[in-house]
Amino acid sequence: MRFVLYVLAALLLGMTIGHFYAPDFGNLYELMLYALIFIIGIDLGMNFRASELRKLGKSALFLPAGTLVGSMLGGLVAALLLGINLRWGLAISAGCGWYSLTGPLIAQYSPVYGALGFLSNLTRELLTVLLYPSLSRRIPAEVAVTIGGATTMDTTLAIMTKFGGREVAVIAFVHGFVLTAVIPFLLPLILGL
Amino acid sequence: MNIFIPLLVGILIGYLFRTRDMRVDLDVPMSAVLLLMIFFLGVKVGKVSVSTGWLLGSSIVFAVLTIIGSVGVALFLGVRR
Repeated sequence: MRFVLYVLAALLLGMTIGHFYAPDFGNLYELMLYALIFIIGIDLGMNFRASELRKLGKSALFLPAGTLVGSMLGGLVAALLLGINLRWGLAISAGCGWYSLTGPLIAQYSPVYGALGFLSNLTRELLTVLLYPSLSRRIPAEVAVTIGGATTMDTTLAIMTKFGGREVAVIAFVHGFVLTAVIPFLLPLILGL
Repeated sequence: MNIFIPLLVGILIGYLFRTRDMRVDLDVPMSAVLLLMIFFLGVKVGKVSVSTGWLLGSSIVFAVLTIIGSVGVALFLGVRR
């Protein structure tokens, strides 16, 4: 949770400096983005194991597929409600809570929608932490995992393990793992539409 | 530069690390790069005039509707253990 505060502080500091001084950092932003994508790639290459998916059978793919499709449907509705181009709506929602990837990728095309992608997905992560404990008592705990999107393999895994149990922890991890493997490929495709 | 290039190169290097049993701790470099990138994102956003209220309100709308969509589709599909 402390890291989220650092992230918010970095965003607010950047916005303040950008607003009052408008400095030109050249292409440092793009360089950082490529460095981040490169590190994410190394992480995926070191940890992706198809055998983990086989352990859970079909639900390993159905659950994250449902999360992604549902999230994008929700994003389309949000875009229609807010009068935003559907392409931005799809891109923002396809991030499934992965704010550190979604915001910067969209910001390559539009800083404003990049910020919206960042804050929307950060809000989704915060809402997951707040809502999972009560939601997992009202609907099946493994279905409630879907609210966390891609964050269920790391930042929200602990809360799901605590309130959903050890069996849900495995489902949550694989759910987040599959989405984490898919989103870096899907987002650029949507943005290229 | 296409985003897929650093991603695929990274996956390949990560796979090579794994096959050689080399463990690399990526937490610190990832956090550092992420914070710097978020800062530069903030600078970009700060240069554009945008209503903070609209940004926050729209973020909440997106977060809530994407959550409802994900849970709704999972319930509709009847995903069970």
